[in-house]
Amino acid sequence: MSKNRKHTQLSEIWRRYRKNKTAVLGFVLLVIIIGTALFADVIVPYSKCIEQVGADRLQGPSMAHFFGTDEFGRDLFARVVHGSRYSLMIGLVTSLMALVIGAVLGASAGYFGGVVDNVISRIMDVFMCVPPILLSLAVVAALGTNLRNLIIAITVSCVPGNVRLIRSVVLTTAEQDYVEAAKSYGTSNARIIFRYVLPNAMGPIIVNTTMSISDMMLSAAGLSFIGMGIQPPSPEWGALLSNAQQYLFTAPYLLLFPGIFILLSSLAFNLVGDGLTDALDPKLRD
Amino acid sequence: MSKYIMKRLLYMIPVLLGVSFLVFTILSLTPGDPGSIILGITAKKEDIAALNAEFGYNQPFFIRFFNYIGDIIFHFDLGTSYATRQPVMESILARFPNTLLLAVLSMCLSAVLGISMGIFSAVRQYSVMDHVCIVVALVFASMPSFWLGLMMLILFSLKLGWLPSFGADTLRHFILPALTLSLPSAAGLLRLTRASMLETIRQEYIRTARAKGASNRRVIWKHALRNALLPVVTAMGGGFGASLGGAIIAETVFAMPGMGTLMTTAIRQKDVPMVMGATLFLAVLFSLVILAVDILYAFIDPRIKAKYQNGGKSRE
Amino acid sequence: MEEILKIEDLSIIYKTDLETVYAVNGISFSLKQGETMGLVGETGAGKTTTALGVLGLLPKRTARVTSGRILFDGQDVCRMKEQELERVRGEKISMIFQDPMTALNPVLTVGSQIGEALYLHNDAELSQKEIEQRVEETLELVGIPKERKNEYPYQFSGGMRQRVVIAIALVCNPKLLIADEPTTALDVTIQAQILTMICDLQRKYGTSVIMITHDLGVVAETCDKVGIMYAGEIVEYGTLADIFTGDRHHPYTEGLFGSIPSLTEESRRLHPIEGLMPDPTKLPEGCKFAPRCAKCMEICKSRQPGVWEENGHQIRCHCYSNPAEVKR
Repeated sequence: MSKNRKHTQLSEIWRRYRKNKTAVLGFVLLVIIIGTALFADVIVPYSKCIEQVGADRLQGPSMAHFFGTDEFGRDLFARVVHGSRYSLMIGLVTSLMALVIGAVLGASAGYFGGVVDNVISRIMDVFMCVPPILLSLAVVAALGTNLRNLIIAITVSCVPGNVRLIRSVVLTTAEQDYVEAAKSYGTSNARIIFRYVLPNAMGPIIVNTTMSISDMMLSAAGLSFIGMGIQPPSPEWGALLSNAQQYLFTAPYLLLFPGIFILLSSLAFNLVGDGLTDALDPKLRD
Repeated sequence: MSKYIMKRLLYMIPVLLGVSFLVFTILSLTPGDPGSIILGITAKKEDIAALNAEFGYNQPFFIRFFNYIGDIIFHFDLGTSYATRQPVMESILARFPNTLLLAVLSMCLSAVLGISMGIFSAVRQYSVMDHVCIVVALVFASMPSFWLGLMMLILFSLKLGWLPSFGADTLRHFILPALTLSLPSAAGLLRLTRASMLETIRQEYIRTARAKGASNRRVIWKHALRNALLPVVTAMGGGFGASLGGAIIAETVFAMPGMGTLMTTAIRQKDVPMVMGATLFLAVLFSLVILAVDILYAFIDPRIKAKYQNGGKSRE
Repeated sequence: MEEILKIEDLSIIYKTDLETVYAVNGISFSLKQGETMGLVGETGAGKTTTALGVLGLLPKRTARVTSGRILFDGQDVCRMKEQELERVRGEKISMIFQDPMTALNPVLTVGSQIGEALYLHNDAELSQKEIEQRVEETLELVGIPKERKNEYPYQFSGGMRQRVVIAIALVCNPKLLIADEPTTALDVTIQAQILTMICDLQRKYGTSVIMITHDLGVVAETCDKVGIMYAGEIVEYGTLADIFTGDRHHPYTEGLFGSIPSLTEESRRLHPIEGLMPDPTKLPEGCKFAPRCAKCMEICKSRQPGVWEENGHQIRCHCYSNPAEVKR
């Protein structure tokens, strides 16, 4: 019985989502970007990323090299395509990790209240006093600049916001009568959290997670740009931009293409997030 | 009211201690001891040991922490840089004004632009301008600000030659960086303001105001705005933190000497006291800004204000 | 006594991209100075839409008056420009809304919200001091100590907030007051206080009142005449006596009275009216009550009933009106 209702709920949300043209555009964009990342090898072999052809240095876009070449004669198109893997992966992994950690901490704080809530909230307050990029910088400073540490750094900066959001969502949901009812016939706390509270709190959480993927991608690009993230020769988009800075005036296309891709990926997630907000709460429209 | 302010100020103390502890702990994880970092691994063992003793490296963790805090509170001393062997505080105070100016300028710009366009967009919902605003805001909000900076550098500095591209000597140098930094966050504020206005306009008390005979203009300015701006004010507190972070990155684009370049250099040199000091300095600054915003919020929202004035005489 | 409000064959729809909602379908009634009329019906019958229509407060994007006129003091509200409407609202026609908890602006003091009504319609050119005085007088009138003038809405209980709302509505001495379920959100004891207050004020100032409610008890206490609304139509209309006594009624009215549990009789089950109000986007052909009517005849399913009238008591039902007289 509940499976059927869930199915129609989802299809109802999907129906409302489909009606929103910009949301659909975002979804299409998202599929394209994820597809590019997944099938990067199929689109263009990785070898072209690192293949240096001295004679072809710093050439503008052409039929042979769609996006041009960089100072080592590497094909920019290949590098951008393969760079999508890094950005996407970082965005998704950090968001998911921050979501899980945030959910555990936030749900505990919201549901159990009292001392648990106080301790968690105070600790999160302290974390939130450090500007996110600064926090990530500090982590990277301590641990070193590589992919793994970048992920840790960005996740850490994202967790406090998640905890706060999930805590407030759980607080509102846990006040509902059906939770009282469940408690009154002896359901265990864990079961209540997972089967009653969290599923109904899903809406804002999903929207927030989608938007945060976009933020995470921008943060990663920013950190790599100032040399604190992924290092060359990896074709991560931020690192590509960092490299391209010196050729700002001579070869601006080196800046244009990676940047546009960052923009499009981030835009895709934002559009989808917006679309989900509208689809999940039809009152907000009209 | 002053009770509320006192309470918040007192609360700040454990928070600031916590922040110091957090920053200290994270950066203590940096591998390597002062001696090796400064003199290099090939230096003589005795020299390394001597330096380590000078920096108090071998003391237990909490002793070091308390000494650190003590130095800050009593001597205003953030430690000594491994690289320059000069007080960290000096370097920070020299570089910090540029970063602050950039962050403040961009915050002001983004507030003015974002909030006004957000109101405009909400009031003219469904119009062409509204749709344009939403799309433009979305695009700018998805844009990395440093990339926007680079693009604008090419356009304004190279092609048009209107604005200087590097350095931070005159105020003119700040125009382009502040502008590029402000646009993405203006976009975010636009979206927030718009959503908040739309939500507020839907409230029952707006209908009451209309039923009284208030004109549309009056309804928007006198009734809707104050309520709608409450979440926006809160968001701007956090926005300052983002501005600081963005400023740090923007400095690289525009080659401005500031905290950003200070920190990235320090990180590369493994200059732990410098990184620690800079991070802590900015974090404390940010905490104070958040405190100020909270107090400001209490002034605007009478529900909070009166809660602390009359000792809570509310009847919900 | 002069007629101050006359609604003639009013129809209002809400049109969105997805569907059209037929909220009000050809209603007519009138109100004299000093009279109180009750507008009774279930949720969704079109009562609030009618009220908003009188004030010109229907949502501009979706609502449309497709036929009829709303004549207030001889002028058609539907044709008035926004500026004229703003002069009328709050001063000549006022409205009280259902939920007092959300009807007041949380960041403004109650005094300033009452004073605003005076400020907006300051024909007498009162000074700030005089306005303040009037505000205090009005507060006392609704039973709120004038010292609480500078407090904020959240510091008042539901009943007190509703009094503030009433104060705002009455401070300019309107000719017509529309009360949209003013006591639905309040406790029964507070309900009695508020209703008594509205009646007292009405008697004192000679205000006409349209009392919108789904509660027949409220109607009995306050109204001179009653209109029973169903699916956007007035199915029965008459004086209080016409509706509450006598043996000629619309089947819906009979159902309403029949569903009230009796304090004296013993019964094992309640007697609700079977079925639900029709979907306002898909109204049935013929009589709109037919699907639920115990006395439904063949003609009811296909033809709209005409209006039967006797001494001002109107019933829209085939049982009474001659099929030959059906208008549509």
